[in-house]
Amino acid sequence: MSALLQVEGLSKRFGGVQALNDVSFEVAEGEILGLMGANGAGKTTAFSLIAGNQRPSAGSIHLDGQRIDGLRPDRVSQLGIARTFQIVRPFGGMTVLENVTVAALYGRRRISGFTEAEALAREVLAEAHLADRAELPAASLTLAGRKRLEVARALATDPRILLLDEVLAGLTASEVAEALEIVREIHQRRGLTLVVIEHVMRALMRLCGRIVVLHHGQKIAEGPPQQVAEDPVVIEAYFGAAPA
Amino acid sequence: MRRHGVFLLLMLAGLALGGVYPALAGDYYIGVGLTLLMWIALTQSWTVLSGMTGYISLGHAVFFGLGAYVMVLGWSAKLPLLVTIPLAGLVAGLLALLVGAPCLRVRGPYFVILTFGLAEFVKYVVVSVEAGLGKAGRLLFATPSLETLFYIMLVLAAAAVALCYGVRRSRFGAGLRAIREDETAAETLGIPVTRFKLTAYVLSAIIPGMVGAVMMLRSTYFEPLQVFNPITSFTIVSMAIIGGSDDAPGPLLGAIFLVVLSELLWANAPELYMVILGALLVVFVLFLPEGLWGRIQKLWRRRQAA
Repeated sequence: MSALLQVEGLSKRFGGVQALNDVSFEVAEGEILGLMGANGAGKTTAFSLIAGNQRPSAGSIHLDGQRIDGLRPDRVSQLGIARTFQIVRPFGGMTVLENVTVAALYGRRRISGFTEAEALAREVLAEAHLADRAELPAASLTLAGRKRLEVARALATDPRILLLDEVLAGLTASEVAEALEIVREIHQRRGLTLVVIEHVMRALMRLCGRIVVLHHGQKIAEGPPQQVAEDPVVIEAYFGAAPA
Repeated sequence: MRRHGVFLLLMLAGLALGGVYPALAGDYYIGVGLTLLMWIALTQSWTVLSGMTGYISLGHAVFFGLGAYVMVLGWSAKLPLLVTIPLAGLVAGLLALLVGAPCLRVRGPYFVILTFGLAEFVKYVVVSVEAGLGKAGRLLFATPSLETLFYIMLVLAAAAVALCYGVRRSRFGAGLRAIREDETAAETLGIPVTRFKLTAYVLSAIIPGMVGAVMMLRSTYFEPLQVFNPITSFTIVSMAIIGGSDDAPGPLLGAIFLVVLSELLWANAPELYMVILGALLVVFVLFLPEGLWGRIQKLWRRRQAA
C-alpha cells in the first residue's frame, strides 16, 4: 500500500477549542477521498494543516513519504499540494488570466517565462470552463465563476494532490452539475488525486470512492459511500439518536 | 526587446532631454529640475514596495535621511563620491533588511504607523548622536556644481524608473501583486511571501538612500530634523496617490504634477500652498482613487472598446 498522503494522529487546538483530535487517514494515488461532517467538524482545519496554512498541535503529515507538517505553505505548494478556499480568495484587482498565470509561475511547476505560464494558464482556464472570461477582472466573476477560478488557480500550480474545499457550496443546481463535471474531467484527464470537502451529500456520494466522516474534530467513520451512509454512528451524528 | 520598445524609446528621450536641459536652463530651473528628478526617484522606489505589495510605507524619509547622514560622514572623511553615494544606498538597504523582517509581519494601518514611527525613532537617534558629539548642524564645503548633481540625480531617477518598470513586469513582480491582493492565497500558491516582501522593501530603500546623499550635497547644511523630515514621506505618498497605479507611469505623473503645481503655487499664492495641496489630496482620494494614470488607462480602454 503506497499512500500518497498520510495523515497520522493529527490534532489542532485553538485555545479551549479542540478543532481536530487525533485524526488519521490515508489517500492513495489517483483516488478521490471525500471529507464529510457537520459545520465545525474540523474539515477545513484539516485542509489548513495539510496545506501548511496552520501548524498542527500534534501528529504528522507525510507526502509520498516526506514529512511536510510544519512546513510553510509556499513550500508545501512547491512539493505538490494545492488547496482551494471555501471562502474564495481571488486576486480581485487582477484579470482571471493573471490570477491563474501567477499560480503557474509559482507552485510546483515554477515556470520562469511569462509566455509559457500564460499558455498553461489558458489551458487550465479551458478545463475550468473559464476560457471566455480570461481577460475580465477576477472581481467581476459570479460566485460560480470565482469557485471555478479557485480550482483553476490551484490546478495551475501542477499539484500532485488537490484539496477542494466546498467548491459546490452556494451554487445553483445547474452550476453544481457543471462544477461536478469539471472536477470529474480533471480527475479523469490528469489522474489527479483529490480530497473533497462537500456538504452536497448526493454529489459527494457519487464522486468519491471513499469517505472519511469527521464529527467534533474526531474521525467517526471511514469507508465506501454506501457503507458510510448506512453507518448508525454517522446517522446519529447527523440526525441525532434513532428513536428507541 | 520589441515588447519594451516604447519604454526604451521614452527612456532614451527622457535621458536626452535631461542631458541637454542644464545647458538650456538657468540655475533656478536646474534646481527645479533636480527637485523633480529627486521626487521621481523617491516615488518610483516607493512604488516597488508599497504600490506592488500594498504595504504602505509612511517612513521612506528614514532612508533619505540616513543616506544624507552617510554623505556628511563620507564628505568629512574625504571619500570620493563614487564610494559615498553607493555606500549611502547600501546603508539604507541594510536598515531595510534589518527592520523589514519584524515590520512586515503586520499589515494595513499597523505597518503604516510602524514605518512612520521607525523613521521618527532613527531621526532622534541621529539627533542624539550629533548632540553627543557636540555638533549643532554641519556644513559641507566645496560640494560639486549644481549641473553635476543634476546629472547624478538624472541617473538615479532613470534607474528608479527602470527598477519599477522591470519589477512590475517580472515574475517577482507578479508575486508581489498577488501578495497585495491576498497574502494567504499567494503563499498557498507557492509564493515565498516573507522573502519577497523583504526583498521589495530593501529594493525600495536603496535608491532613496542615494538620493538623500546627493541632496545633502545640494543643501550643504546638515540638520537631522531637516533631512529626516516626515514631510518627505508624506509627499512621496501624495505623489503616488495622485499618480496612481503600480506601474512606472503613475508615480512619474504624480511627481511631475505635484512639482509643477508647487512651483506655480509658491510663485503665485504661497499662503495657499498647503491648503490647496490638502484639498487636492482629498479630491483624489474621494473622486479619483485610481489616480491620474489609472484614469488615463480607463479612458483609453473605453475608447478602444467603443
